[in-house]
Amino acid sequence: MFEIRSLPDGSTHLVGRLDASEVDQARRALEALSGPLTLDCSRLDYISSAGIGLLVETYKRLHAAGHAFRLVNLLPRVRNVFAYAGLDRILTLE
Amino acid sequence: MVGREFQRSNGSLKEIFAFVRGFFRDHGLVEDGAWNVDLVLEELFTNIVKYGRPSNEPIEVHLGYEAPFLTIRLRDRDSDFFDPTAVPDADTARPIVERSAGGLGLHFVRRMAERFEYTYEDRVSTITVSTRLES
Repeated sequence: MFEIRSLPDGSTHLVGRLDASEVDQARRALEALSGPLTLDCSRLDYISSAGIGLLVETYKRLHAAGHAFRLVNLLPRVRNVFAYAGLDRILTLE
Repeated sequence: MVGREFQRSNGSLKEIFAFVRGFFRDHGLVEDGAWNVDLVLEELFTNIVKYGRPSNEPIEVHLGYEAPFLTIRLRDRDSDFFDPTAVPDADTARPIVERSAGGLGLHFVRRMAERFEYTYEDRVSTITVSTRLES
């Protein structure tokens, strides 16, 4: 199960498992977001190459429009997957 | 090894992850190690779903444990020859704007695997990966 939650304080959270069975639904939700975007990943339990690909797509779309894209509060095991992809040096991970 | 069959669909992933959790529980393994097993299985399974023959034949997933190695085996009984171990590794040094959405899955498998093998016989593809579990 995966969901994107927008909280009253304005923060946006990725929650659950972003795997290949969830990317279509997640893509529709992310495509609805615009402007500078910070995604809180403190409750993102798992990500695979399908999820990484979706976040790279989102980065490219926002970057092309001149907007920042940041991922914050990643669990170590999720951060490791970004590192395996060589993206920890490129994406803004905090 | 313990095995189960799963329908050839990304929709099977939740059942596969539950199978992994059950295996870890039954063998008294620390659950932290299951996340990497999930990742290896997802990347290999979805690769078969995406690039394999259109078929109604389910895909077998087998798990075995002999400390400190966990062995993952996938058998596709209706396949053409496709050796994932021979696919060139993803270039993770490329600038992000030049990256495609795919190509990373087998790179992740290689990062996790102590052993990564492929055999093909009588239309059956068998992929075997062994990964070390930290105790």
